[in-house]
Amino acid sequence: MDFEISHEQRMLVDTVRGFIKDELAPLEQQVEDSGVLDDATAHAIFEKSSSLGLYGMNIPEQFGGGGLSCLDQMMCEEQFGHTTDILIRRAFGNVYEVLLSCTGAQVDRWLTPAVKGDRVCSIAFTEPGAGSDAAGIKTRAVRKGDKWVLNGMKHYISDGAFSDFFVVTAVTDPEKGHRGISMFLVDKGTPGFSLGRDQQMMGIRGTSHLDLHFDDVELTDANLLGTEGEGLKLALSVLGRVRLAQVSARAVGKSTKILGLTLDYARDRVQFGQPIGDFQMVQQMLADSAMEINATRTALWQTANKIDRGLDPRADISALKVQGGELLDRVVDRAVQIFGGMGFSKDLPIERYYRDARIYRIFDGASEVHRSVVAKTLLKGATDLYDPWSN
Amino acid sequence: MKVLVPVKRVIDYNVKVRVKADGSGVDLANVKMSMNPFDEIAVEEAIRLKEAGKAEEIVVVSIGVKQAQETLRTALAMGADRAILVVAADDVHTDIEPLAVAKILAKVVEEEQPGLVLAGKQAIDNDMNATGQMLSAILGWSQATFASEMGIDGDSAVVTREVDGGLQTIKVKMPAIVTVDLRLNEPRYASLPNIMKAKKKPLDEKTADDYGVDVTPRLEIVKTSEPAARAAGIMVGSVDELVAKLKEAGAV
Ligand SMILES: Cc1cc2nc3c(=O)[nH]c(=O)nc-3n(C[C@H](O)[C@H](O)[C@H](O)COP(=O)(O)OP(=O)(O)OC[C@H]3O[C@@H](n4cnc5c(N)ncnc54)[C@H](O)[C@@H]3O)c2cc1C
Ligand SMILES: Cc1cc2nc3c(=O)[nH]c(=O)nc-3n(C[C@H](O)[C@H](O)[C@H](O)COP(=O)(O)OP(=O)(O)OC[C@H]3O[C@@H](n4cnc5c(N)ncnc54)[C@H](O)[C@@H]3O)c2cc1C
Repeated sequence: MDFEISHEQRMLVDTVRGFIKDELAPLEQQVEDSGVLDDATAHAIFEKSSSLGLYGMNIPEQFGGGGLSCLDQMMCEEQFGHTTDILIRRAFGNVYEVLLSCTGAQVDRWLTPAVKGDRVCSIAFTEPGAGSDAAGIKTRAVRKGDKWVLNGMKHYISDGAFSDFFVVTAVTDPEKGHRGISMFLVDKGTPGFSLGRDQQMMGIRGTSHLDLHFDDVELTDANLLGTEGEGLKLALSVLGRVRLAQVSARAVGKSTKILGLTLDYARDRVQFGQPIGDFQMVQQMLADSAMEINATRTALWQTANKIDRGLDPRADISALKVQGGELLDRVVDRAVQIFGGMGFSKDLPIERYYRDARIYRIFDGASEVHRSVVAKTLLKGATDLYDPWSN
Repeated sequence: MKVLVPVKRVIDYNVKVRVKADGSGVDLANVKMSMNPFDEIAVEEAIRLKEAGKAEEIVVVSIGVKQAQETLRTALAMGADRAILVVAADDVHTDIEPLAVAKILAKVVEEEQPGLVLAGKQAIDNDMNATGQMLSAILGWSQATFASEMGIDGDSAVVTREVDGGLQTIKVKMPAIVTVDLRLNEPRYASLPNIMKAKKKPLDEKTADDYGVDVTPRLEIVKTSEPAARAAGIMVGSVDELVAKLKEAGAV
């Protein structure tokens, strides 16, 4: 068992870290203030990161991606956590692994352009009546001859305003419950497909969260991603890595960055004639944050390593989804506390980190839902979830 | 033309340096080590020469402990073609002195026959600022130190140097040694494809003995001490007060 970070991993992280510090961090406040990242800037950062091979690093090389192992990807994703959602999207891409299910002509139409960054994609599963209960969707695709006709709506779809196409879940066989759901690739501009309002959110400014409306949208089998009726199965098999990356790893990165700022503050801020870091109650918060960050990162690397060994550690991923989101929540809450009034003030970004953090316990499956996955898996007898010696 | 770039593994410039308890030097165990920043600038300049069609091959060389191969891999990931590691010490705390480094480099130059040696003006660990100059003396080659701008003109290098009074531009006949200063360029990040390629690029491993150079230190470190802690600042209420305080302190 080797816990040493390799020199290559260090070089990669140095590049990503340097890029974020020099190219992205200076844009954060401006995006926060205006609520948008203008197209010219977005394009410029895409060009720069793409020339360094940093766009779509999670996708295998044969499809034009960076070909990183899951572990190396998590190390990069941790660094992504040092900046904001929108800047990550534009610089490094959100090329969902689900697109690897493209076959035949779908590859050139959707997968390759997405990996190159020529076309951007959003995931559209959630509906007003179906969030945690992804199988409870009402959006319906009906086969008519050699066509599919899509009707329904989605909401909260991240980056919907910018994206060129969407991976949409729809019921294709209402009799079969979760086995009657399929996934479709739907291009913006397809007749009958319209964009609704942009839902305003508590944080992660700069990204849109759109309602999508499908009104007799005509599709063909070329739009069907994967096998009919296996949409949810496919989603479950590939979204795990996305969660690990976009929630767990980024939460570790955000927590790390926030703890660094908090430590600086605790050293510098003097009250009662001494740095507040000298007070034991402040020290407890600092120590707890460091310990929890390390525990989560180690578990993350271990789970990434399982994926690299070809295992399908779904319950571990669920556990890390909860751990990551809740880690960030505690670390950023302590940061606000230690910064005192300055933590609540808009003069510093701490309050922004606090608002941006809250969604990590909700999206990509709420904590409660993932906790119940862990518990049910345990109750079925998966002792290896907590005891590696048991099998 | 072949360009030879010597690169040194030094304590990372972001690390807060700690002096060893016995005062014999700086603690380097479990400390982040990186390429000397001036050497990074030299590697970058060599890559730019290659991209401009003025150089064909970039060979990087590092002299020190075995771990310096990481420094070489970093240079390869930036875009150098080939690396030579000269192992001259086992202990990470052993510093190879400039004269020994220059002697080994002279032998490497003899073997490799580069048209240009691009080196950092100094290493940030002990700020000797001597290796390039010594190498020039040993080889009898021209030298242009502290380059803030450079170009190739036929068989000469045209180098703008940062000197006390401003800038000085000189022309030196190649083969030559150019040592680079901070403002010459901004080194690039290693790209992901180049990081992947770096592990396949050739890295030759040699020892100081292979070159017949005695690396025994000639200098003795008598004492290493922390810089004096900075005294706390004071807030002044106005420019007049500031000027008065500065006069008081004899600063203006
Ligand atoms: C900023 C943002 C971006 C988003 N981006 C996207 C996107 O790009 N694409 C997309 O498809 N969706 C997206 N979503 C939707 C997101 O995935 C859902 O919000 C999430 O799945 C939760 O669903 P819900 O909001 O409907 O909450 P609900 O499912 O209504 O949950 C409400 C509460 O009930 C609890 N609960 C529900 N079921 C159970 C259960 N079985 N056991 C215990 N407790 C339960 C939940 O844990 C939660 O606390 C986004 C949401 C937000 C806020
Ligand atoms: C929205 C808002 C409204 C406000 N309104 C007013 C107002 O109307 N009038 C007014 O006068 N003030 C006001 N304040 C100031 C407010 O009362 C202070 O922010 C608060 O007293 C904390 O002080 P501080 O921000 O300087 O934090 P600090 O005192 O610097 O505290 C920073 C951290 O150090 C910890 N700490 C400090 N000392 C100790 C100790 N001895 N032992 C253990 N831990 C310690 C604190 O608990 C905190 O976690 C307001 C602040 C805000 C943010």
